[in-house]
Amino acid sequence: MSSRLEIYRVMVLAQAWEQALLRLIDENLAPASYHPGRGSEGSEVGATLALEDTDYLLYDHRGMAHIIAKGTSLTALFGDFLGNELGTTNGLGAGIVHVADPERGVLGQSGTLGGSQLIASGAALSAKLRKSGQVTMCFMGDGAANRGTFHEAANAAGAWKLPLVFVVQNNGWAVSTPTEHSTGGSFVDRAKGYGWHGVQVDGQNPFDVHDVAVEAVERARSNNGPTLIEVKTVRLTGHYLADPQQYRSAETKADASTKDPIVFARKLLHESGEATEDELEKIEAEARTQVDNARDEALKGNQPGQDLLTRYTYV
Amino acid sequence: MPRTITYSEAINEALREEMERDERVVLLGEDVGRMGGIFGVTHDLYERFGPDRVLDTPISEMFIVGGAVGLAITGLRPVAELQFADFIFNAADETYAKMSKWRYMHGGNFTVPMTLRLPEGATGGGGAEHSLCPEAALLAHPGAHIVVPSTPADAKGLLKAAIRDDNPVAFFEHKGLYATRGEVPDGEHLVEIGKADIKREGTDVTVVAWGRMVSRALEAAKNSDASVEVLDTRGLRPLDTDAIFASIEKTGRLVIAQEAPKTGGGASEIAAIVAEEAIDLLDAPIKRVGALDIPLPQNAMLEAMAIPTAAEIQVAIKEVLA
Ligand SMILES: Cc1ncc(C[n+]2csc(CCOP(=O)(O)OP(=O)(O)O)c2C)c(N)n1
Repeated sequence: MSSRLEIYRVMVLAQAWEQALLRLIDENLAPASYHPGRGSEGSEVGATLALEDTDYLLYDHRGMAHIIAKGTSLTALFGDFLGNELGTTNGLGAGIVHVADPERGVLGQSGTLGGSQLIASGAALSAKLRKSGQVTMCFMGDGAANRGTFHEAANAAGAWKLPLVFVVQNNGWAVSTPTEHSTGGSFVDRAKGYGWHGVQVDGQNPFDVHDVAVEAVERARSNNGPTLIEVKTVRLTGHYLADPQQYRSAETKADASTKDPIVFARKLLHESGEATEDELEKIEAEARTQVDNARDEALKGNQPGQDLLTRYTYV
Repeated sequence: MPRTITYSEAINEALREEMERDERVVLLGEDVGRMGGIFGVTHDLYERFGPDRVLDTPISEMFIVGGAVGLAITGLRPVAELQFADFIFNAADETYAKMSKWRYMHGGNFTVPMTLRLPEGATGGGGAEHSLCPEAALLAHPGAHIVVPSTPADAKGLLKAAIRDDNPVAFFEHKGLYATRGEVPDGEHLVEIGKADIKREGTDVTVVAWGRMVSRALEAAKNSDASVEVLDTRGLRPLDTDAIFASIEKTGRLVIAQEAPKTGGGASEIAAIVAEEAIDLLDAPIKRVGALDIPLPQNAMLEAMAIPTAAEIQVAIKEVLA
């Protein structure tokens, strides 16, 4: 259970990290193949902060907020995007990366959407067989939840009551295709059919997401089976950086922008008296400093040599 | 004292011994538990090791392979079984991308110590979707070993080595060999992955084969007037090219036999490697023997006509000697 201020701090950190990445891309230091995460911080941070260090995370391609919430080094994350030896992948990844951080349970990402769902089911089965008490959380978009992999992973996890949490980040879009054109029924309703617990929550409110996730993680840890959390969230930007979004009307874009979880959380913390303006500004300034330091550090990394090409093909 | 046991028993023994040796080894697949596998290969293991070590899965090939990757990267050593090797395509992405690439993609942060058991081959009427030898399906996707034993001794020794290997191993076992008998050494018996075996020495022509084609090559060799060397690659990756080159240096002639259709299989790859790197060792063009380029017919009589026989390998031997 994280405090509201901690949730806010990590969301702001993720936002600052992404802004710094966009500057690196502008400066041609990192490849532009990136799916911005603005709008999904409430979902990613709220849910991930329910995990312990030893719990497993399979993140998705949108933003880095879940990985940042899991505690992976910001310098290493920049290193991954810069494609240098300071990255978690020692320079193999660049752009849409496969960040891995086994020490913090970050098990990676399947570039083929849906692949992570099965691996997450396997990791959850592993934790159950080893009686390790670890929980596995797997993020996916509403689009990726339509893969057949979802069925096989969810069915097996339901049959064996695995300690697994699926977070379906329903931002209404899969690139240009709206959810209602590509999905029958609702995601949360699927939970029942697989013998899962299901809950829907508004991603604009990261504190609600966190509460729901804490409950789901607790349910998993006490062997009461998997949970599907459908987070209604928004994509404040295009699918990827250069996406002109001609398929999206001005109204839907404007409507999404009123649901920014960072703006919402800030307002709530302020109005409730939980934090003063000064305190919030301090959190924000500290996040920027932390990110700037990580960026400066990461820029000192060397590009890998040719020997990296074959180093990890076989053990 | 070597004992004479079946290929199927040899696989069962390998699984049992490795499960006894290392509690991280778990089996999963459709009907591998209480039933002991639809071919009986995993019999008695469920009784011996219980439901936490031998898991009956749903009919979910993507889960069997993808889930095994999840087990492997979190500290277990799964041996996953696809009921038929043909179903490797039902779990294609999980096999060629997740199992084979997860380590590399994530910068060496993980190892994927899993074995994927793939019962393969034509057995008299399995039909076009239950009779494949899709060993070459993984050739263009580096990251996993491709192992194919031809004898009970190799089946046991290679499977034990596969389970101990920190790399993922696709282990193709021929269904038509399950009942064949052969000598298996007592005690600890390991066979190094990627090392070819000369199953018969000869000086006139080399027949390279793997899996069930090894026994057909040996039969062809026996019936041939020439002195035929039979080299069993025991799989396709790693490929013991040194052993192949050494053999053709001696014989100067090469026949490659595979059960899969002739086009696009392991034989083509081996022929290409020899042509590229060792053509000067050859006194005659290479000859490939493989199944007809058709989906395998269900009719057992037609099926037998479609896949290579010892007689066809014998004809190929004659042709390269002509
Ligand atoms: C199997 C597969 N199909 C298609 C793609 C290409 N692709 C990458 S992201 C994406 C859209 C995903 O939409 P969604 O899951 O809703 O997540 P969002 O991008 O909205 O966050 C597509 C089609 C892919 N990577 N893998």
